[in-house]
Amino acid sequence: MQERVLDCLGEPCPVPLVKAQRALEDLEAGDILIVQIDHSCAMKSLPEWARDAGHNVEIEEIDNGEWEVVIEKS
Amino acid sequence: MGEKKKEHYDVVIIGGGPAGLAAAIYCGRAHLDTLLLEKTMMGGLATNTNTIENYPGFPEGITGPELTELFHRQARKFGIKFKMTDVKDVEFRCDSRRIETFRTVYDARVVIIATGGRPRVTRAQNEEKFLYNRGISFCATCDAAASEGKTVMVIGSGDSAIEEGTYLTRFAREVIVSVIHDEPQMDCNETARDAALANPKMSFAWNTIVDSFEGGETLERVNLKNLKSGEVTPYEVDTCFEFIGYEPNTELFLGKVEMSRRNYIITNEAMETGIPGVFACGDVREKNLRQVVTAVSDGAVAGVGAEKYIAESTRFERDILQKEKIGLIYIYSAIDAPSQELLPIMREVESAYGGQVKLSVIDQYRNHSLCEQLGCDVEPMTVFYTVDGEIVETRARCDRKSIIAQLNKLVDDPVDVVESFP
Repeated sequence: MQERVLDCLGEPCPVPLVKAQRALEDLEAGDILIVQIDHSCAMKSLPEWARDAGHNVEIEEIDNGEWEVVIEKS
Repeated sequence: MGEKKKEHYDVVIIGGGPAGLAAAIYCGRAHLDTLLLEKTMMGGLATNTNTIENYPGFPEGITGPELTELFHRQARKFGIKFKMTDVKDVEFRCDSRRIETFRTVYDARVVIIATGGRPRVTRAQNEEKFLYNRGISFCATCDAAASEGKTVMVIGSGDSAIEEGTYLTRFAREVIVSVIHDEPQMDCNETARDAALANPKMSFAWNTIVDSFEGGETLERVNLKNLKSGEVTPYEVDTCFEFIGYEPNTELFLGKVEMSRRNYIITNEAMETGIPGVFACGDVREKNLRQVVTAVSDGAVAGVGAEKYIAESTRFERDILQKEKIGLIYIYSAIDAPSQELLPIMREVESAYGGQVKLSVIDQYRNHSLCEQLGCDVEPMTVFYTVDGEIVETRARCDRKSIIAQLNKLVDDPVDVVESFP
């Protein structure tokens, strides 16, 4: 099992989503991708896309207005 | 994937709607280490409501998202930790409560269930193909603007159906309402009904239910069946709004807490579910009125209940499961005479050991919650023996001789039965 952290701090939509989609392609099922974001629009688009694609998603608020979206590739 | 992380909290709240957020505010203010888990959207179902006009303190009304964002901010101020994730499994036992998400296993002293409800669906043919953003909506506020100049259908005749339907006429060209009853009967209040009947943009299909939904990528047609004639009539619509009530989000707890026939969680006035350390509050409970104001009230009661439960169990661990001496815990009941007869004997035994043994007596009748901490069904006359604060032995029925025999195995200086009790 591999765990990768993707820093998308300061990046507006749709950059985090596109970056996450690309990063996830390189990962195996069961691997974890942690996307760090601070734009609230990515808070919605990224988990929605990931859930639709069938991955497990968990969002953790690291600080006020800063989140980690944890995606487990299915 | 590998081993899940393990975390410990005083309180884990499941659900981030008004009830969960209010409980969080009370727990945070009581300095309890608290985590709130929310599956999709902080604010819960209240975020679906355009204007909340009956929540005290906002004479001009306030939108659901705005009000719940204020709750969220207030809870955050008190140091609550939030996590947006789905709960996969829960396990409630007398002595532990475990909550599992896909990455973490949480161990909590108290769990507060505030999972609320979700809109009920018609279960008509093809419904699942068009749910949410494909033409079937449960939220006029969310999708009204997209209905500008279009024809929409509303299913239901309760307060929310008729009030939201009336709100939709501000955007839509035409609003067709499917009502299950005879003309002009509706389930909503009379003011809303009269306004709807007088609204030129609203029309009504009486005695109808949904037979099926049709369309391509998105919804195009709703076929309504007349319950009297059996006739099915197609209606070309762009969006269909369903307002036919709610059902509780309790699948996760089936068989784990007591529920009503319709699967709402049954609690007492203190929001206790009957499982030690597990509370339920808000719309998920079996109750009369489901509103933001009653949800936050429930949340407050549950939050205070959590605080009290934790204070009691802390006292229990400190005083009853003390680590200094060998512990002798005796359960009796004020309404069970034989169990009281052993009380003086217990005291004699304690003093015979000259400070090596600490006796705690618990009246099962009066201190039920303390008994629950020892196990779910503790009978009077049960004796627990502890070493270093851990229970090492439990005996259901006992007498002086067997107690001394057991204690002699645990203490450094055993006593002679004959000598100590001539």
